[in-house]
Amino acid sequence: MRSKHMKKAAWIAFFVTPGLLVVFVFILMPLFMSMFNSLFGWNQLIRLDFSGLDNFRKLFGSYPYQERFTNALGNNVKWFVMTMVLQNLAGLLFGYVLSKRIAGSQVYRRIFFIPVLFSIVAVGFLWGLYLRPNGMVNALLGAAGLAQYQSAWLGNAGTATYAIILVNIWRWLGFPSLVFMTAIDNVPAECTEAAYLDGANEWQLFTKVVFPLIIPSVTIITVLTIIGSLNVFEQVYTMAGLDGAPNYATDTIGTLFYRTAFGSVDSGAPEIGVGSAISVVIYLMTFAISLLSIGITRSKEVEL
Amino acid sequence: MTTDMRFRFASGPKKAFIVLMQVAMVSYILLILYPLFNMIMSSFKSTRDIMRFPFSLPDAFSFDNYLTVWVDKGFGLYFLNSFLYTAVSMAFVVLLGSMAAYGVSRYVFKASTLLYMLFLSGIMLPLKAAVIPLFQIVKGLGIMDNPLSVIMVFIAMGIPSTVFILSGFMKTIPLALEHAAKIDGCSDLRIYSQIVMPICMPAVALVSIYNAVPIWNEFFFPLVFLQNDKFKTLPVGLSSFIGQHSTKWDLLFTGLCIAIIPMLILYLFMSKYFIKGMTAGAVK
Amino acid sequence: MKKLLLTLMALVLLLSSLALPMSAEAVTEIQFWTWRPEDTNFYEKVIAQFEEANPTIKVTINAIKNTEYNTILSAALAGDSAPDVFMSRAYGGLQTFANSGYMLALDDLMPELKEFSEATRMGATSITDGKIYGVPAVSQTMLCFYNKKVYEELGLEVPKTWDQFIANLQACKDAGYDALANGTKEGWCCEFLFGGAGASQYSGNDFYNKVVAGETTFEDPIFVSAVNDMLSLTPFMPNMYEGVAYTDMQASFINEMSAHFVGGSYEAGYFKAENPELDFDIFPVPGKTEADPAYVSVYADMNFAIAASSKKQDAALAFVKFLATPEFGAQVVNELAMVSSIPGVDVSANPFIAKVLELQKNNTPYLFLVGFRYNQPTGSSLFQAAAQGMMTKQLTAEEVCKQVQEGIATYYVPFQK
Repeated sequence: MRSKHMKKAAWIAFFVTPGLLVVFVFILMPLFMSMFNSLFGWNQLIRLDFSGLDNFRKLFGSYPYQERFTNALGNNVKWFVMTMVLQNLAGLLFGYVLSKRIAGSQVYRRIFFIPVLFSIVAVGFLWGLYLRPNGMVNALLGAAGLAQYQSAWLGNAGTATYAIILVNIWRWLGFPSLVFMTAIDNVPAECTEAAYLDGANEWQLFTKVVFPLIIPSVTIITVLTIIGSLNVFEQVYTMAGLDGAPNYATDTIGTLFYRTAFGSVDSGAPEIGVGSAISVVIYLMTFAISLLSIGITRSKEVEL
Repeated sequence: MTTDMRFRFASGPKKAFIVLMQVAMVSYILLILYPLFNMIMSSFKSTRDIMRFPFSLPDAFSFDNYLTVWVDKGFGLYFLNSFLYTAVSMAFVVLLGSMAAYGVSRYVFKASTLLYMLFLSGIMLPLKAAVIPLFQIVKGLGIMDNPLSVIMVFIAMGIPSTVFILSGFMKTIPLALEHAAKIDGCSDLRIYSQIVMPICMPAVALVSIYNAVPIWNEFFFPLVFLQNDKFKTLPVGLSSFIGQHSTKWDLLFTGLCIAIIPMLILYLFMSKYFIKGMTAGAVK
Repeated sequence: MKKLLLTLMALVLLLSSLALPMSAEAVTEIQFWTWRPEDTNFYEKVIAQFEEANPTIKVTINAIKNTEYNTILSAALAGDSAPDVFMSRAYGGLQTFANSGYMLALDDLMPELKEFSEATRMGATSITDGKIYGVPAVSQTMLCFYNKKVYEELGLEVPKTWDQFIANLQACKDAGYDALANGTKEGWCCEFLFGGAGASQYSGNDFYNKVVAGETTFEDPIFVSAVNDMLSLTPFMPNMYEGVAYTDMQASFINEMSAHFVGGSYEAGYFKAENPELDFDIFPVPGKTEADPAYVSVYADMNFAIAASSKKQDAALAFVKFLATPEFGAQVVNELAMVSSIPGVDVSANPFIAKVLELQKNNTPYLFLVGFRYNQPTGSSLFQAAAQGMMTKQLTAEEVCKQVQEGIATYYVPFQK
């Protein structure tokens, strides 16, 4: 019995160790080293003495960090809600009909992922062209007789964040679609057929049979959305700049972190201490919320 | 078969649903293809025309921009470097990632959730945040200005999401399959490589393309770790067209068009694994 | 699978063996980093000249994307792998690296720096120890470009007062042009619009000296009024200017769709390169009366610095000294169309630069960059964000000034009295 346990442990170690080692050395170790910096005072790029939680006090209790952080976090929430509701729901629908061989599904599944293949530079520039005041979106609105809805999409505080989120949804919609499609493909036909013969309609089939069986994919997409939404950086950086223009309307904790920790041409000297404190907060929040959502969805999983 | 989305046999509301989905998906396809078209057309224009008439067709289809980028700007070498780094990294991402996913998801043990979260925490902060300590580690290992540095970082970047996504899929494979193989005397390694991995091919294909794209397009870490021109990658080459006050959009678009081709090919190749039937048989 | 893996491993080994250092030669190799990829060809030429004069030194240039430059340079400096010579930002941006002990003080090594004007030296001087840490390369001037053809077509004269400036804008607008190319999608475009158009309205140096000394604040009525003047330009800016990006502004002026462009003198090279037929000239945005001096905001930009950790400081110094010669300055003027900071540079071959120098007679420091970029939140970031808020009608000029004042007062000692 004991040797069986040993054997199992050895196999686990065999499978897990190489990957874990690489991730530990090149990601976890530097990340923790950098988060550790939040407990020190800093003069420019030089670390001074241990300062306890001073940087966190500064972040949560003093101007302008407090305001910027709350504002940025609010935008991260917008990212999460919109991505969940629009991207993942549409992805689930697309994945379902693709798996059920809607006409053209062979073509769709070969095209849906193409936006992800674009470099972010191309995405930022092209959508910048489409969304600018004399761009394509406004031209189409004008042609449709909806000129009153024309707007400086990326320049208006009221629309900028939503415009960037929509572009990001455009970019990533194919991913949940394909994940859900693959998962639904894997649902054994006998399960759905049995329920069908029992007289279930299609909606019931989906909610009672298919959906419970693809919960692991739902977990994957939900958790990746949580992580993605709390880590938003590239999209905002490319389309609005490091300062979350206009007037911090598009700022996220990712951009706030980056310009605080590294400084920028405009925002000035780096403040590594407060910057690292922000990274600790991002990390802890992401970890806690991911764990929570994994816990919730795990309890809903069904074994085959 | 019973729930196929075939229009002819559908009921009234289902017909409406199918039409709605078709409209949505066709619109999405157009929204995908137009920017792609726009990007390709821009590579045949001058910077001034890109700015002045962004949506017009080019005056002529001259490949001068391509020649400049590929030969004068040295993109031939950059392309080769990018290809090598991405291929090597991805091979290890898939190998180490799927092994770890197997270890985390197919064995029942106390620390499995902890391990799972440990892997996952590798994508809970952008790695850019840790560039200074990472720089010191890379230097400490003596692989500064050496392609190994970016390859190792790429492998590390790809593993967390690979473990996360693959373990989700591996969990759905019935354990009975494994027990049967064990009774037949299969070792764990063989179960992993001959039974679980083939079933997971669609997910492996998905994860490969999901990770290959950011690695292929990553410009920050190669910029940090590789100074020697002969090691530079395609995205680093592209970044040299973006100036402080002026950007060479013509060459940039040409480079972007070159850069997207291998990913398109990889995606089209991988997408054959998404197609039902190839894998459905394996589950039964 | 195994075969594939073995092949891959072999490839990795092969690649890593390529990376082994070449055998040592008699020449000293030094690294030079810049954030101006657009100037790579220029520097390669300069390096070739330098190497011809100094055959024992080889310079390798590495141009890094501007927006990533500081991060990568910080990582390299902190990781003890810094380039021997690097381009450093001026003022607050220089302070970061100088204070951290990463830069070599040049006062004693380069006596020729004493000949540089005090204003340009300031951009390379640490405010804590007063030492000079770089060779000032260029100065940038915020002014107004105008399209000469449009002026001729509409019979306009270069304005001498703010009212004439507004009248000219109105005339261009009536003729169907975008009177002013400027947009405010990016915050820094707000800052340079104000730097170009606002300096004469807040009476330039008079206000600058007082506010730096803490004798007045940014809520001074004259400053509030200058910010309001910037707001009054909105009718002449493009439709939905709040969504007009920097590249759109450049394209609009280059393609003669707009008549004016308030911005930095560094644009000239790009304007000419993209549209050689573009006939443009410059003027300083005038003050309220003809008697008021028409100010241009000026700042020092780019310093050539030596890393304190460099093991090849002699070679690095030789290269930096080369970058301080009038011959190099002349090339900066003629090929980059920028104003060299090096004294005694002949600008006669470039009438545009000569004109910029003439306007610089009434120069005032580019307010937030020169004076208030040493701590977070910088004056620049405060003003940029608040000004965007004002241009989109969310804030008033008074609120902008209040936010700037309160933000800077959190660390600026003269404001804390």
